[in-house]
Amino acid sequence: MPSHKIFLLSITLSLSLFANEIPTKHAQQKAFGKSVELNAQIVQLSNASQSIMSLVGGRIQKYFVRVGQSVKEGEKIVLIESIMLSNMTANFISQKKQLQAQEKNYQASKSLYEKGMTSMQELNTQSIQRDEAQARISSLKSQLNTLGINTAELKTASSNFVLYAHSDGVVSEILQPLHSSIKEDTPIISITKSQAFYLKSFLPLEYASKVKIGQKIVIKTNTKNIVSNVTQILPNVDETTQRIVLLSSIDEITDNLYVNAYTSSTLYFNSTKKYIAVEKSALSFYNNEWVVFVPKEEDHNEDKHDEDEKDHDEHEGEKHEEHDDHKDENHNEDAQEEGHEEEYEARVINIITQDEKFAAVEGLELNEEYVSDKSYYVKSQLLKSSLGGHGH
Amino acid sequence: MLDKIIDISLKYKLLVLALFIAISAFGFRAYQEIPVDAFPDITPKQVVVYTESPGNSAEDIEKLITYPIESALSGMAGVKMIMSNSFFGLSYVSVFFEDDMDIYFLRQLVSERLGGVDIPNGWGKPELGPNTTGLGQVFWYKIQDETGKLSLKELREMQDYIVTPLLKSVTGVEEVIGWGGNEKQYNVLIDTKKLQNIGVTYEDIITALQKSNQAAGGQYLEFNREQYLIRGAGLYKSLDDIRNSVIKSGKGQAVTIGDVATVETGSMPRFGAVSIDGDEAVMGMVLQRTATNAAKVVQHIKEKLPTVNSALPKGVSVEAIYDRTEITHKAVSTMTSALITGVVLVAFVLFLFLFELRSAFIVIISLPISLLIAFLLMDYYNLSANLMSLSGLAIAVGMIVDGTIVVVENTFRKLHDMPDAPRIKVIADATKEVAKPVTFAVLIIVAVFIPLLSLDGLAGKLYSPMALNIVFVMLGSLFVALVLVPVLAFLLLKPTKNADNALMSGLKKVYAPLLIFSLSNAKKLLASVSVLFLVLGFVLSQQGREFMPELNEESIMYRVISIPGTALSQSVQNASEIEKHILKNYLNEVSSVLSMIGRSEKGETAQANYMEVLLTLKDGIEDLPALTDKMNEDLKHTFEQVAFVPTQPIAMRIEELLEGVKAELAIKIYGHDQKELDGISKAIQETIANVDGLERMEVETQLGQAQIKIEPNYLSLSRYGISVDEVMQVIRNGIGEEEVTQKIEGIRRFPIVAKIKDAKKDIQALKDVTLRSSNGSLVTLDQICDISISHGASFIKRENLSRYMVLSMEVDGRDVASFVEEANRLIQKNVDMPTGYYIDWAGDFKNMKEATDKLMVIVPITLLLVILLLYTAFNSISKAILILINVPFGFIGGIIALVMSGIYLSVSAIIGFLAIFAIAVLNGIVLVSFIDELRVKFPHVDLKILLKDASLLRLRPVLMTAFTTLFGILPLLYASGVGSEIQYPLSVVITGGIISSTILTLLILPSTYLLFYKKEHTTNTNNKKD
Repeated sequence: MPSHKIFLLSITLSLSLFANEIPTKHAQQKAFGKSVELNAQIVQLSNASQSIMSLVGGRIQKYFVRVGQSVKEGEKIVLIESIMLSNMTANFISQKKQLQAQEKNYQASKSLYEKGMTSMQELNTQSIQRDEAQARISSLKSQLNTLGINTAELKTASSNFVLYAHSDGVVSEILQPLHSSIKEDTPIISITKSQAFYLKSFLPLEYASKVKIGQKIVIKTNTKNIVSNVTQILPNVDETTQRIVLLSSIDEITDNLYVNAYTSSTLYFNSTKKYIAVEKSALSFYNNEWVVFVPKEEDHNEDKHDEDEKDHDEHEGEKHEEHDDHKDENHNEDAQEEGHEEEYEARVINIITQDEKFAAVEGLELNEEYVSDKSYYVKSQLLKSSLGGHGH
Repeated sequence: MLDKIIDISLKYKLLVLALFIAISAFGFRAYQEIPVDAFPDITPKQVVVYTESPGNSAEDIEKLITYPIESALSGMAGVKMIMSNSFFGLSYVSVFFEDDMDIYFLRQLVSERLGGVDIPNGWGKPELGPNTTGLGQVFWYKIQDETGKLSLKELREMQDYIVTPLLKSVTGVEEVIGWGGNEKQYNVLIDTKKLQNIGVTYEDIITALQKSNQAAGGQYLEFNREQYLIRGAGLYKSLDDIRNSVIKSGKGQAVTIGDVATVETGSMPRFGAVSIDGDEAVMGMVLQRTATNAAKVVQHIKEKLPTVNSALPKGVSVEAIYDRTEITHKAVSTMTSALITGVVLVAFVLFLFLFELRSAFIVIISLPISLLIAFLLMDYYNLSANLMSLSGLAIAVGMIVDGTIVVVENTFRKLHDMPDAPRIKVIADATKEVAKPVTFAVLIIVAVFIPLLSLDGLAGKLYSPMALNIVFVMLGSLFVALVLVPVLAFLLLKPTKNADNALMSGLKKVYAPLLIFSLSNAKKLLASVSVLFLVLGFVLSQQGREFMPELNEESIMYRVISIPGTALSQSVQNASEIEKHILKNYLNEVSSVLSMIGRSEKGETAQANYMEVLLTLKDGIEDLPALTDKMNEDLKHTFEQVAFVPTQPIAMRIEELLEGVKAELAIKIYGHDQKELDGISKAIQETIANVDGLERMEVETQLGQAQIKIEPNYLSLSRYGISVDEVMQVIRNGIGEEEVTQKIEGIRRFPIVAKIKDAKKDIQALKDVTLRSSNGSLVTLDQICDISISHGASFIKRENLSRYMVLSMEVDGRDVASFVEEANRLIQKNVDMPTGYYIDWAGDFKNMKEATDKLMVIVPITLLLVILLLYTAFNSISKAILILINVPFGFIGGIIALVMSGIYLSVSAIIGFLAIFAIAVLNGIVLVSFIDELRVKFPHVDLKILLKDASLLRLRPVLMTAFTTLFGILPLLYASGVGSEIQYPLSVVITGGIISSTILTLLILPSTYLLFYKKEHTTNTNNKKD
């Protein structure tokens, strides 16, 4: 307030000067994305510690790794000598040769047939035999492929079966002694995945309907925020805490994540609905309702119109409105006596949602002017004059 | 008996002189030692019971604390009224007792009864308020920090632990109340999210804090013939001790407070603040104990201040802000100077009339001696020298000399008449001759003022010291006139020629023709004076009325009220803005501005939306009322968000004492439902809004406090296995910051609170406060409670077990009584009261009404007493009536003066009329008894001639008594300064009354006498031959 103004304006005008200090803004559409802060725990899921199993029975010939050694994906882990594998490979090679022979026979028969030297029936028989051989070989091929053996390069029968690491990690345990013989599906070695941290966020039940897979979760660590997404919503509510458990994988590697440590995370719901919003500093609790103050409109009919519109409101709300109106008339009387008018009136609103700075409201129209700050002073003025006149 | 006294005193002249020298000496000592005060102690006997119940709402406090206390205290002996106020965090019950009961006995009784009051655990303990009176705040100070480095918290700590104990040890100090700044506490800020992490509940944390802070004594052991004491020292010593408190342990590891919470130094939630010149400050208020003298207490405090300052760190000092003795000295000096001026004026008048040094000396010396006797009596009866008691003396100054004048005059005349008779006998006879009328005159004055002592309430307390002092000084003057004056006359008087001086002969030249005219037109004159009196009587009945003129304390103070529910921080901001505005715009007049916001921590009843702003004015302000008016207007318009009510420090406390209503006029609406009360008050406001004279109307809105209500939802609670108790504990301790345990630092104790971090950031944060049940469920408050926001009671006032609401108003430009009448009529007509609801007028007006009602009884009794005395003196009813006819003569002048000066009819004015009553009667007695005397001496002279001669002869004494009284009172009329306005109406009435009474007595009394005794005299002249 520039001081020279005080001297220029007479005391009676100082009210309007004072009024000018009340900031107003226009109600705007604003998207409300909501977030909630959650308690979370860093965990390592049980499947993160993997046991590597042999798919074939046999004897462990050689371990390529030691306990505690870190391995990369595709690295050799163990060598197994397997009779079954040797049978399979031998079989595959012989079948392959057989197929080649069949192919030759077929081609020969075909050219003979074209020259009319053999019957159609002969050719068909040849073709069926070839297809059979082909089917046999592809079945074998797929079996071998499953075991991780490249059939294209398979030239000779081999009993050596090599197991490779599935992912990066650390060898945590060797389960079978060297040279022991193992059956199919026996775990041989266990590897702990180095990046298999997951975040378990505990979400209060009230948010159950809002949370969806893929929503953003931000984990705050001391050094940085790690962004991740909800990968799984566990079907069972955590029994002790009575909260929904959200899983999200932590893909980024940081040094200070420890399994079982608690931390906090923020879940962002991506329901960004647009509402008419006012600044939170505009809100005031007045006559048992939340209100914002709006500049008073000159036209009385306009007021009526407003009230009609609000007929949909609760009955009580409407009653209140009437009461307010009644009071406003009193203000007017007072005002006329005192030579100035009340400039603001209270508008009952309904708070739908809010974030840090804004509140989404019902009861205010788009672009309507409202008192955005210092609503306390406006309220004081209104309540004070309802107490009766104050001086002449 | 009178004769005997005179004889004896003349016989032992030396003894009498010695006696009076002794009396004067003791009187002077009494005068010096008498306690001084601004006012008589007008406060009612009351015992206050307050119960701090931090964080609880008005409704709950009323239900659970106030009502049980009220009902326990009602029905005690001597209880006049019980008033209570329940509001956020405090229950305040005030019990008013009959005035004649002993305060210590009453406190004992009350505390006995309190023992039986059943208040739920954790809701506070009722305590007796300080044993002080409503005017007990005698000394305010601030803790001044020159270094500028200390925080408010540190200053407050110094106030509480250095200044308070030192000042409390001063004689007469009952309590020292700290206000403003922040009180230290230790916050254990709990992050409730971590409760899950370490698997503990909120309760576990509290238990851990309490259990870790212990001390124990282990007796002793003997070793090598010596004793070693064993001490378990487990009290918290540092913040780290708190952090390391173990909550639970297992597997050799422990979870400590530090794992779930941060520990820091914080501030207690507060209900009040103090702001000085735009910045927050710390102040203290010293309360004087009941029945001690304010001036002495303040003197003792001031003697202690150097000690206090030396105990404070360098650069920090205690600085006085308000000091009751200032106004006391101002008030007392106003009255003393009026008294002294009166004495001087009276002496001057006497000298002028007597024109004879010796007799003038005798009369004049009787003045101070009578006053000293009065002081002696005041000392004996423990009366303090205050505005009212001293003004009693000032009023009486003119009347004191009357008796002496009569005695001296008579002696003088007799000595002149009989120069040959033995001197001692002449003097004895002369004194004896007038002893009876003088005694009766004094008795009549006493008779007029003594009934005032039976006034009760505020009026009684205010005016009885005045009446008592008039009685004292009059009795003293009688004693002087009958005992000392004859002796002095014997020693000093010389028979000289009794010649009229120039003044007297001039006056007689004017008087004689007027008297002759009035004697010949006796009937007409009497008739016209009667008509005049009746007319003026009617005018008086139309005159405005008020209880007490406003005391000018030469200070400006405001009560500033914001809307209910205003936050303390906002109030602090308002205060700072107001202070800066005043300092900036009234640079030449105001040196400092102090705002006391909300309440101090000990049993005050204000809330954060209320503050008191006291201005310290610079010396030499010429027109204080104009400045006040200007400032009132200015502030009202500059700060639209608050309401200003101008007041003054003492006036404010007095207003508060009036029925607990801080306004001169108020309507109390009684009934149970606050919303209903609210409605009625609105209806009343509308009804009387346009009544003429209504300056300001304020409703004490009891509703309007926004509340966040947390109601446990039992279904959800059972679902999660959490008890209501646990929820309430979280609300009480975690949110409400109730003390869990204390950190003891030497003698200083600071609360440790287990606060939930960020719980009070906003409403949403509150809803999100997390609880952990013992079986592990984690829930937010919102999940297990229904949280709603509504407007509730901001406070609940009760009187005699019924709720009520106050609508206070100020009336200007019109007298209160007629305003009340009109408003009351309108309310009866227009406002519909449901059953069980009723209104009552309160405030100043009620006191006025009570006083007037009482006076309606007192005045006839006084009249009867006076008639009885007159009858005894003259042995004739008709004489008594003849003299009483004088009274209206006096009233005529009194009423004219009152109407002309445009002041209201107040208790003060009414007492003025009583004084006129006495003066008029005295005038009558002097004249009538002299006429009687002459009639006996010259029975054959024509009555008319006799009356004329008598009146002319008596002109001097009548004028002399009239002028002495008049000049005695004049200084009061022209006095300015603190307290002068209280006695102004009285002096206006007396001045007018004396003038009219004297003139009319001199003119109309002889005529009336003629009418009364014309026939009798003629028959007498015929019959009497001896």
